[in-house]
Amino acid sequence: MIAARTINFTLNGAPVTADVKPHHNVVELLQAQFGLTGARETCGQGLCGCCTVIVNGLAVSGCLYLASFIDGAEVVTVESLDAGGKLSPVQEAFIETSAFQCGFCTPGFVLMVTQLLDEHPDPSDDQIKHYLTGNLCRCATYPEVMQAVKLAAKKRKGA
Amino acid sequence: MIPFDLAEPKSLSEAIKLLDPDDATVRPIAGGTALMLMMKAGVFRPQKLVSLRKIESKYSGIVASHDGLRIGAMTTLGVIERSAEVRKHAPVITRTMITLSNVRVRNVATVGGALAHGDPHMDLPPVLMALGATITIVGPKGERSLALEDLFSGYYETTLEKNELIAEVHVPSQGPKKAAYMKVTTGSADDWPALGVAVVMEADGKAIKSARVVVSAATTKATRMKSAEAALAGKTVDDKVLAQAGDAAAEDAEILADVRGSVPYKRELIRVYVRRAVRAAIDGQGAH
Ligand SMILES: Cc1cc2nc3c(=O)[nH]c(=O)nc-3n(C[C@H](O)[C@H](O)[C@H](O)COP(=O)(O)OP(=O)(O)OC[C@H]3O[C@@H](n4cnc5c(N)ncnc54)[C@H](O)[C@@H]3O)c2cc1C
Ligand code: FES
Ligand code: FES
Repeated sequence: MIAARTINFTLNGAPVTADVKPHHNVVELLQAQFGLTGARETCGQGLCGCCTVIVNGLAVSGCLYLASFIDGAEVVTVESLDAGGKLSPVQEAFIETSAFQCGFCTPGFVLMVTQLLDEHPDPSDDQIKHYLTGNLCRCATYPEVMQAVKLAAKKRKGA
Repeated sequence: MIPFDLAEPKSLSEAIKLLDPDDATVRPIAGGTALMLMMKAGVFRPQKLVSLRKIESKYSGIVASHDGLRIGAMTTLGVIERSAEVRKHAPVITRTMITLSNVRVRNVATVGGALAHGDPHMDLPPVLMALGATITIVGPKGERSLALEDLFSGYYETTLEKNELIAEVHVPSQGPKKAAYMKVTTGSADDWPALGVAVVMEADGKAIKSARVVVSAATTKATRMKSAEAALAGKTVDDKVLAQAGDAAAEDAEILADVRGSVPYKRELIRVYVRRAVRAAIDGQGAH
């Protein structure tokens, strides 16, 4: 038996502690120990973006990230976006443009679009497409997602 | 994934001591993006992984000097993509990053992992080889320097000993050289390549002095196409010279069939894309 180790990190702004085994990944950790299901393992291969979480300010695939590696890190999940009881501009934009159908891929898209707009506040179509190549939507809401990104960019500027 | 042990040494030398020259189930892990895929698929079942993530920070940065770049093996592809120094000294690398996997993978994957994995489908090996990169390898007996083209020995095989680590990559400045990388995908636009072609040339207008042509993905390993290089050296580019270079590479390449294409199909891709890559480099179009 390989022993669990204790790690400390910040989860959505709050300091937390968890016991993890070396073979656990970040999605397993967030679901099993913190009840956070926004990031879900889907392809399990880094391709689809459903497991997106932000580690030290950078988007990563939680399915390909060992839980042990977030020791000491700042982790942000989709659950933080409406923490103040109010939806974020990106969340609002997804609703207003109906940029989802079943909604399974939406948490990942919303987090990635938030990152995209942090890096490129006024993105071109090309920038949007390149940034989101790693996010797949089985319901094919891609045109609406493009609209949502543009609307969110406007909202963020107005805010 | 099956359980394994994880060591997190604080230095490169400590990491080397933890590796075992005779045990392939003990392996270094950097970003983990390639290893996690293999572990999830069950094709790699480690006893112990030795994480390089806590070793000295000098191995995860980029230092530029007058003759080129020194890139620590633990530098992520995202950092390389966003580096102003890389854009200045080797813009072909910056352009290559845009279609290399996706943002999240680039934020985690390291250049050391991209090279040590020996995966012929990766985009950086051909580009760095064409630029004439060398790597610094550290093992129990000390340090050695190796031309990157001598690292790859076969399909997912390298000349690294099991207790050796890549510490740094040295990339000579592109300078006035003309360069291009073409990635050919036959599935989705951002799929792994069916073919990669990297070209770096010294040329005065259309007069080529010397050329390095590297083909990957279609082949068992990233390979310099010396016959194509010879067909270009000392020539002035025209349709005939381009055709000769494409034909030479297509004849010489050791091609592997897979889901992205058969041997004859990939041979034809090489013939066409070596031509296009040379022309793109000469025209200053770089990469796509
Ligand atoms: C969804 C997805 C899509 C991808 N698409 C592309 C693509 O289009 N083009 C492309 O080029 N790549 C692509 N990749 C591959 C990606 O570039 C590699 O997975 C990555 O570069 C490996 O780096 P890593 O740090 O994560 O390596 P790890 O997984 O940590 O290690 C990989 C290998 O290298 C060894 N290793 C790591 N560091 C060192 C070192 N310093 N010295 C010696 N050995 C070492 C490990 O033991 C292991 O064998 C993709 C990956 C994913 C997950
Ligand atoms: S589940 Fe992680 S990228 Fe698809
Ligand atoms: S809305 Fe159904 S997968 Fe995207």
